[in-house]
Amino acid sequence: MVPTLIGVVLLVFFLFHFFGGDPAVIIAGQGANAKQVALIQQQLGLDKPWWVQLWIFVKEVVTLNWGRSWATNEEVSHIFATRLPATLTIMVPLTLLQVLLALPLGLGVAYVRGSLTDRAVMITTTVALSISFLVYVIIGQWLFGFELGWFPVQGWSQNTGYNLIRYAPLPVFLAVCVSLAPQTRLYRTFFLDEIGHDYVRTARAKGVSEKSVMLKHVLRNAMIPILTDLGTGLPSIFIGAFLLEVFFSIPGLGREVLLAVNRSDYPVIQAFTVYLAVLTMVVNLLTDIGYKLVDPRVVLK
Amino acid sequence: MTTLLSIADLRVSFKVGKEQPFEAVKGISFDVPVNGTLALVGESGSGKSVTAMSILRLLPVTAAISGSILYQGSNLLDASSERMRELRGRDISVIFQEPMSSLNPVFTVGDQIAEVIRLHEHLSRRKAWQRAIELLEEVGLPEPKQRVSSYPHQLSGGQQQRVMIAMAIACKPKLLIADEPTTALDVTIQKQILDLLARLRESHQMSMLFITHDLAVVGDIADQVVVMEKGEIREQGPVQAVFHAAKHPYTQALLSCRPRLDVRPRRLPVVADYMQGRILDANAPQRTPRVDGEIVLEVRHLGKRFELKDGLFSHSYFDAVKDVSFNLKRGRTLGLVGESGSGKTTVGLTLMRLHKASAGEVLLKTESGPKDLLKLSEHDMTALRRRIQIVFQNPYASLNPRFTVAQILTEPMRIHNIGGNERERLELTAAMLERVGLSPGALWKYPHEFSGGQRQRIAIARCLTMRPEILICDESVSALDVSVQAQVLNLLLDLQDEFGLSYLFISHDLAVVRYISDEVMVMNGGSIVEVADSDTIYRDPQNPYTKRLLESIPKGLQGLAIPAVA
Amino acid sequence: MSVVSTSVATAGGEIISSRRSAGVWKQVAKRLRGDALGMASLVVVLAFVLLSLFVALGWVASGWSVESAVPYAPPDFLGPDTSPALKIEQPTGPMLDLSSVDPLAPHYADIDKRAKELATAAKPKLLTLPFGADRSGRDVLLKAIKGSEVSIFVGLAAAVVATALGTFLGALAGFFGGIVGDVLEWFYNVFTAVPGILLIFAFAAVLGRGIGTVVVILGLTGWTSVYRLLRAEYIKHSTREYVLAAQAIGTSRATRMFVHILPNVSHVILVQMSLNVVFFIKAEVILSFLGLGVPIDSVSWGTMLNEAQAELILGKWWQLVAATVFMAVFVTAFSVLTDALRDALDPKLR
Repeated sequence: MVPTLIGVVLLVFFLFHFFGGDPAVIIAGQGANAKQVALIQQQLGLDKPWWVQLWIFVKEVVTLNWGRSWATNEEVSHIFATRLPATLTIMVPLTLLQVLLALPLGLGVAYVRGSLTDRAVMITTTVALSISFLVYVIIGQWLFGFELGWFPVQGWSQNTGYNLIRYAPLPVFLAVCVSLAPQTRLYRTFFLDEIGHDYVRTARAKGVSEKSVMLKHVLRNAMIPILTDLGTGLPSIFIGAFLLEVFFSIPGLGREVLLAVNRSDYPVIQAFTVYLAVLTMVVNLLTDIGYKLVDPRVVLK
Repeated sequence: MTTLLSIADLRVSFKVGKEQPFEAVKGISFDVPVNGTLALVGESGSGKSVTAMSILRLLPVTAAISGSILYQGSNLLDASSERMRELRGRDISVIFQEPMSSLNPVFTVGDQIAEVIRLHEHLSRRKAWQRAIELLEEVGLPEPKQRVSSYPHQLSGGQQQRVMIAMAIACKPKLLIADEPTTALDVTIQKQILDLLARLRESHQMSMLFITHDLAVVGDIADQVVVMEKGEIREQGPVQAVFHAAKHPYTQALLSCRPRLDVRPRRLPVVADYMQGRILDANAPQRTPRVDGEIVLEVRHLGKRFELKDGLFSHSYFDAVKDVSFNLKRGRTLGLVGESGSGKTTVGLTLMRLHKASAGEVLLKTESGPKDLLKLSEHDMTALRRRIQIVFQNPYASLNPRFTVAQILTEPMRIHNIGGNERERLELTAAMLERVGLSPGALWKYPHEFSGGQRQRIAIARCLTMRPEILICDESVSALDVSVQAQVLNLLLDLQDEFGLSYLFISHDLAVVRYISDEVMVMNGGSIVEVADSDTIYRDPQNPYTKRLLESIPKGLQGLAIPAVA
Repeated sequence: MSVVSTSVATAGGEIISSRRSAGVWKQVAKRLRGDALGMASLVVVLAFVLLSLFVALGWVASGWSVESAVPYAPPDFLGPDTSPALKIEQPTGPMLDLSSVDPLAPHYADIDKRAKELATAAKPKLLTLPFGADRSGRDVLLKAIKGSEVSIFVGLAAAVVATALGTFLGALAGFFGGIVGDVLEWFYNVFTAVPGILLIFAFAAVLGRGIGTVVVILGLTGWTSVYRLLRAEYIKHSTREYVLAAQAIGTSRATRMFVHILPNVSHVILVQMSLNVVFFIKAEVILSFLGLGVPIDSVSWGTMLNEAQAELILGKWWQLVAATVFMAVFVTAFSVLTDALRDALDPKLR
């Protein structure tokens, strides 16, 4: 884990240092003269050699002191801390619903494999997948928020509970709709792979009913790739969450990053990249531990 | 009533995409006796497994079955799914060939045995678990009380098969179907499992339907035998009658073409001989082992150690090959025999520098004196590679599926500058193909169009294009059907006579090694435990491991006369 | 010598290739031809690609940015917008005479004369277009066609970059293992530790907008899935006997990696590349939507969707539908083609 973190830090540093624009110029804004820019450069320590700057960067990472946003002058760590809850309020229900719905759907489709139902589902999901997520949100917002008025189109409050009932449902619902298609297909593939294994034949030879074969033998074994997928897919749940935040004006991490990107607010972007990398690695560790519970063949180091 | 199960005019065909359905079984009939063992014998593609699986309707959905399988007065093929589920595991059970993949990896052994008990006998969990422990004891699994809560991957192959057997006999079935249960096991373990099955069959008064390709095993354990080829029955009857007086040429061929321990004909009879009615001389002189000759390859203290990383800082190691030394003589065959994990394959691969050796020297005789192959640079080694070649075990994996035969055969020639231009090379390869018994038209085909035996011939041809002196045969015939095996062994012997090749013949099959070798080395746990010429080692083994190996060989074919004419 | 040596000796190269039996790809093509749905999707995909080519050459949709219609002109089949909101009331009554205080009054005659000399014929704005107009009066259909060129080009180019990079690195990691493999694994872990979207944002922040930039960004962040697969494939194949046999006859490592193993994993690469194309097209659409993708003077399905968001509330749905339908048709066809390709590659070729 540590070497990876070092790598991420290096990646972020070099990306922004060598390819990004001069921060001093960005901060100074348009219409600043050379003297002003030089002054800011000195303040930011940009006139020092790059390895010194790298060292400063590393120190910032380790001490979690990222300075302040160039745009709002808010402390970056504060930004992160205050925006995280909103992202989680969307992400957690989203992940749970996704898995809980896709499992029975995938299982059901695998059970009726080859039949007309299976084929109809596959075609529907293929078409559903070809429509951009954006379209679903645009239409969803318009239909449920604007036309029918069931949910507010945008908004957020300070109260988590209220958020869950009032503001979270529409975005979560739309995201679940979109992800159901690919998840179901994926889980179907996992189940079909397991059905092809020899131990299923043994179970049938013992007289186990087809239903039990699916629900007991196959499901248990399929949990292994499902867990893998969950673990590797967790970081990409962020993708959906980010876009939802932008659409629904939810003050979460994703929206913050997008704002930072548009404003070239480097400290925020750098900090978030490193923070989220750490979060991802922690999630991976948890997934590895989860493996041990599901697959007795795994030996933890 | 002496018949338990009666199969009449069984036909099974498989739908393969839009093409014609493939007929695996073309109308066969036989009876399984009560309280006896019937062996279903055939090579790959004979339809024996398909026949057995159709009894319990365990075939894939693409299969179309017709005919009748009469059990207790009704046709099983007409039975409902519920009836089939009742019968499975209770009246009729199955054990399969690969125990590792046939057991569910995420459930304990005890759970899996208890499952079948609770399905059919409605015992409580605790009682079922107890019963599982008793069963494990009955099948001879050591420490049953501890083992019952272990997972399949924690057991060895033989132990896993015992667990499968325990699951199968748990509800006291009337018929046990055993689908090649010992094919994947070492020969010493095979003997134990076969003895166990015979014992259980006796004590439970069951019938057994035993599927195998090995006639020697049939001779040991079966009362009745049914011989199948290409979906049809060629011959059936009591084992003694069929073995001693086989009527069908195919049966005669199967019985004779397997190398035996007691006789060693100049050439193995093959199926074609019998089908075409050739006369074989039963009194032809036997081959005798020759131990003289000039030494072409000298191996001294060869060692191979595998390092296993146990985390960041700790290392454990495993010595696959320990201090192996031997000499290979020109034009002679040195056999290397051992069970899985003995290190025999590693010896071959290390000689060829396909594994990096940890110790020792491999001295190859050259004009400028003996050279140690292990110490040469890559460049020097490449030049010498043409002198030692290797034929691998798996004919389906040793040829590049995306190359034509012509490409496969001309590549080594190009590397070693044999043949001036492409046309010359193609002519040489065409000649080589004919030499190994294939038509030159094969040049333009892809490997998947050939059978296993044909692919091995192509692999041998590939080696021969470089005119090597030494050929390492790493289980080269082990994956082939018995009749094909005989053909390839004959080919190897002919090539040895014509080109003066020296062979290092590695195999787990003692009968084959004994047949083809002049001298035999026995390997166990990475070391050579005995070396002797191939007559002495079978007549008068010294080492206890060698003796155990010899005792484990099925003797079912001993003492049979080779029919002289079909 | 036998018959073959005669044909080989006399006819040299010609006879050799014509007698070659069906290799892997010929068989794949044959199986594909038998799959009706697969062939249909192939036709659709090729049609789109051809269309994009024409757009790139300037033969089609070159006038997409011309504001040829009134703002929000409806589609032809709906007829022109006759809602009263567009009509501006003309005041009635005589015009006031301000020539006494107007400093320009004496020059009006002169100005009118000059204006007539220099008059250009202003094209009247169309009231409807085949599929309607956007806020600036640009043809939605032409925009969708032009947008498909952008999205398809980006999708294909990025997929090629990502696949090439992933294949090369995966081959190295899988074949060599050891230190090389460890370093590449570390590299892979670094790139996957950062959530994809964030990495894309970071690259976008630094590199700015532009089609080329998008291709680079997606390529540099998208190689990881191909790498993972190819590394596993190379590990599997490196210990296969045909590779050991190649080593035994004396081939070099490069030969083994790219002449022997590569053809055997080409089907995996192909399928993965197709999946990547779909993923990258969707990613480009999202990036353009957010303003991080194509430059302002270009159009993409993403920018169209961005505009459509506001238009929907006004009841103008044609831009949304056009972008969605074009994208849906192409992506569905490509997905079906990928599935058909997978099925055609499936039997006995693993």
